Amino acid sequence: MDKKYGVYICEGCGIGESLDIAALSGVAEEEGYSVKTHPQFCGEAGVELIKKDVAEGTNTIVLAACSRRVFFDTFRFEGTITDRCNIREGVVWSHPRSEYPKLTDEEKEDEDNFDRVQMMAEDYLRMSLARVEKVKLPEPYAVENFTRNILVIGGGITGISAAIDAAKAGYDVTIVEKEKYIGGYAAKIRKQLPCEEPYESLVPPIIQSKIDELEKYSNISIKTNSVVARIAGEPGNFTVTFKKPGEKIEFDVPYPLPEEMKVDENGKELEPEALHEKYMEYNKGRRDILTLDPNGEHFGAVVLAAGWTPYKPKEGEFSHLGFGDIPDVVTNHQFEEIAAKGPVVRPSDGKAAKSVVFIQSPGLEKSDVDFDYAGAVTSLVALKQAKYVREDYEDGKSFIFYQHMRTPGLTESFYRGIQNDPGIFMSKGSVASVSKNGDGVFVEAEDTLLGDKIKVKADMVVLGTGMVPATAHEPVVNLAYRQGPAFRDVGLFKGYSDSNFICFPYETQRTGIYAAGPVRRSMTMEESMEDATGAALKAIQCLESTSRGVAVHPRSGDMTFPDFFFQRCTQCKRCTDECPFGAIDDDAKGTPKPNPARCRRCGTCMGACPERIINFADYSIDSIGSMLKSVQVPSEDDYTEPPLRILGLVCENDAYPALDITGLNGLSYSADVRFIPVRCLGSVNVIWIKDALSQGMDGVFLLGCKHGDDYQCHMVKGSELASIRMKKIGEALTSLALETERVAQFEVAIDEYDKLPTIINEFVASIEEIGPNPFKGF
Amino acid sequence: MTETYMVEPDLEFIKEVGLLGAEDLKKCYQCATCSVACPISPDHKPFPRKEMIAASWGMKDQVVKNADIWLCHNCGDCTTRCPREAKPGDVLAALRTYAIQEYAVPKKLGKMVNDPKKLPMLLAVPVVLFLVVGIFLKIFGIHWLNFSPSGEEIVHAKFFSTWLVDLIFIPTFFFAIGVFVLGLKRFVGDIHEEALKSGKTDKKKIDPKGFIEALVRVIPEILKHKKFSQCGENADRATSHMMVLYGFIGLFIVTNIFFITLYVFGIHGPYSQLNPVKWLANIAGVALVIGAALMIKDRLTATEQTSTYKDWFLVVLALLLGVTGMLTEMTRLGGAAGLSYTIYFIHLVFVWALFAYVPYSKLAHLVYRTVAMAYAEYTERS
Repeated sequence: MDKKYGVYICEGCGIGESLDIAALSGVAEEEGYSVKTHPQFCGEAGVELIKKDVAEGTNTIVLAACSRRVFFDTFRFEGTITDRCNIREGVVWSHPRSEYPKLTDEEKEDEDNFDRVQMMAEDYLRMSLARVEKVKLPEPYAVENFTRNILVIGGGITGISAAIDAAKAGYDVTIVEKEKYIGGYAAKIRKQLPCEEPYESLVPPIIQSKIDELEKYSNISIKTNSVVARIAGEPGNFTVTFKKPGEKIEFDVPYPLPEEMKVDENGKELEPEALHEKYMEYNKGRRDILTLDPNGEHFGAVVLAAGWTPYKPKEGEFSHLGFGDIPDVVTNHQFEEIAAKGPVVRPSDGKAAKSVVFIQSPGLEKSDVDFDYAGAVTSLVALKQAKYVREDYEDGKSFIFYQHMRTPGLTESFYRGIQNDPGIFMSKGSVASVSKNGDGVFVEAEDTLLGDKIKVKADMVVLGTGMVPATAHEPVVNLAYRQGPAFRDVGLFKGYSDSNFICFPYETQRTGIYAAGPVRRSMTMEESMEDATGAALKAIQCLESTSRGVAVHPRSGDMTFPDFFFQRCTQCKRCTDECPFGAIDDDAKGTPKPNPARCRRCGTCMGACPERIINFADYSIDSIGSMLKSVQVPSEDDYTEPPLRILGLVCENDAYPALDITGLNGLSYSADVRFIPVRCLGSVNVIWIKDALSQGMDGVFLLGCKHGDDYQCHMVKGSELASIRMKKIGEALTSLALETERVAQFEVAIDEYDKLPTIINEFVASIEEIGPNPFKGF
Repeated sequence: MTETYMVEPDLEFIKEVGLLGAEDLKKCYQCATCSVACPISPDHKPFPRKEMIAASWGMKDQVVKNADIWLCHNCGDCTTRCPREAKPGDVLAALRTYAIQEYAVPKKLGKMVNDPKKLPMLLAVPVVLFLVVGIFLKIFGIHWLNFSPSGEEIVHAKFFSTWLVDLIFIPTFFFAIGVFVLGLKRFVGDIHEEALKSGKTDKKKIDPKGFIEALVRVIPEILKHKKFSQCGENADRATSHMMVLYGFIGLFIVTNIFFITLYVFGIHGPYSQLNPVKWLANIAGVALVIGAALMIKDRLTATEQTSTYKDWFLVVLALLLGVTGMLTEMTRLGGAAGLSYTIYFIHLVFVWALFAYVPYSKLAHLVYRTVAMAYAEYTERS
């Protein structure tokens, strides 16, 4: 498009008082842009002014005013490129004149004096102008053969609920269930936890009513005795191959080569073609991921409700609790099976089990850790099963020894209901041993609420073992993706399929696949049904966003997607490997095959590409590069004591908002830093850092989310990848005789705005100590 | 407690104490707010947190034999602050009732005293007893029970001879003492055993001299209601309790003076209103009536505290005792002979009921709490 520029500088919110608006306008006018100012652009008159220009053909706008995070809708001018130059939060508010006084008329006469704040605003305007010159208006990505059908993996209470919810919203749904009947675990139990007020007592299983409801929807079809062999393609256009459980077919998903097989005998990395050959050999009898099953079925999005399996104790794992040796020591799952058949009886002799001890923690070495994969559900199940004993026998007694009794939310009422039963006895405590006592057992517990050491006579012992997510054993989703068939294991989730528990439930690390129910975390049926609704809505959001060619999440509505300039690709596979979402496949020659509908637009590929051939319409190596090059770096030619210039690349998910809040709270930080928001630290290409330093900037720092165990990165791996790249850049700096300390990375959470001034100022002070960049002025 | 001990919950016990006023017992989740809130609980192994779990686990021996349940004065500070509305104060009260039943022989009588359905029968006992003994004596020409007393002056002894009163009441009094002695013997042994087991004391044996000295130290404190007045929640209860206690003590003294003057000096009642002994009697009677009435009022207005049959039995009996006593005197002075004799008879029925049922009723706390407090003093548990 032919760009017709318009530059607008707002004088409101203290901008006019703090800055020399005429001088600021001059920066743009010098370059030949027409500049308009207004006391308040966000007011009706201000907006009308811009709208009038847009109607007259202005299509590229630089609005120097507040942060882009405010008045988003007010300043949305459809069909234009609009850049919000942040001189309010970013300059004026965070650099009050009380701390950075204006130059007096007298001072102005001496050209060696400078106004740091004015300099800052002018740089930001130059950066905005440089950016809008480089970026393009995005066009939506259209998925071929787009379909809105939803596949639900798993026909348990979660899958059934998700299917009903999606069907209610008008979508065609298919449920695939590996067993012969739908219903899942919910159909195999005696009673279940309450799902509605007053939440006090057990209720009969509700699964049948759910199945009855399901049958009313003609747009739901069910495939029992089937599993997913592979899912190929991208959201809106998945090709799914089904098979019978245990069957071996050519469209079974292939697995990536193990690392050790990717190198030749000398330890050198194999060439792409040799690698592919080896890979096909490794997956003999299976078709490559890029070969589509001609008989595959078409789906637009997937809800993963594969559920869980009962934990199977390893041989001798709980021998101190008698498990394995004493037949009357069982897991909660085994106990449920017994209870579902009738009154609870001992497996050893079929006699009534009138005294049952429920153990919630294996308790070895005085540890208070619960059984693996245990949680609130296992606490609640112990309460439920304790009640079975009381239902079956008037003189029945149930004992629960726990380290943690977790009854969140309204399940607390259930706890109270059970607690009130005179025959149910609970105490915190660690179980020391379970031993034989005639035909029954003795359970010894320590550190109980009743005393140091107590002993209880029991007929049976039940271990509160956990619910293992189906994805812990096998990929289940069997994605025909180059990165592999399963969700990438980030080593944090113990096989649960989730990307980020707090911020993005349902969203897995694979766009278009939404997890619900115990595959995500151990859940009650009530929670699973609610979760199913969430995942179904998320699948619908995915379909609708994809149909419009925009990103689903977390950059919802973003129309851009990575654009590859393939002529210069060296088949290094870095983009394929590093994409946190497995969005990129590659062919036999190693050339990347992007799947834009799988993409979350984080730009990690752009940051990874050594050839810099991956760009977005409005975010590119060049656009950011031009921005940082437009920053004026004063040298000794300009001033006797030139100020430092430091570049801050800021993650726009959490760090940039935090920076805005710093300004909003009037907290000030060094005026020698210039910030550029980036989509994710993962998108930071090292060329930017090199460019910044080679044009004389004195230091560069990255500001992004925490990584590691409690990572907060919206793109899972972005900040972690950036930190790896920053370590590598250190070597390059040394070769340039630059100090490695000139480049740093800091972690900040969205609520840590108060820490930012210290982080920034300390970095600036450290650069001051090192001294100015020797390349300055070249 | 390093020894491993067997826990065998007694479901019957849980149900029974539930009926005695501990129906919210199971709601406890062991936060120990109660033990912190209690102004009189000792620092070492404080109550009532441990009593709550022991009782909810049906560990009968641990709570019934536990002296700590007697150290509680049922102020209700714990109940008010309990986040789960488990009412620890009421639970301990129920446990005390249960313990009273446990220690008073025969147990059956204890159960009856705490069963509202048995009340008519229990009150019928003295009526029948008086009539049977009175009529039986008549057969032998001894008219100690005279249904048509003669003379101008109303003299109650003419209707219900003092001899007859004493013939019945003295054995009743010693019966009660006997029941207490039997109960206390087991009680002291049990609380000591439990204290040793749970590590509350390291004194192996109770030294009688030391124990009596402790008792002597404790009694003034009890009379001053030193512990009771530390209660935060309903401190004014100490006043009414003190009135009733001193009312009873006053009446006890008066009775003994009458007894002595009668048997030693042969002086018969009724006494002149100018007699200082009479003053004491009247003051004590009034204190009893007012104190008991205040207690009833407190219980009726209390929202946090539950009042059960055992509580009503005692306070109503105390009130009726006082009221009938005072009315007997007033009707006598007023000259309403028939009415006065009738009320006197009723008064005697109540007095007898109080004496005979003391070891089984809540009033037994008079003995058990005193002993438990003396024991606590003796073992330096404070």
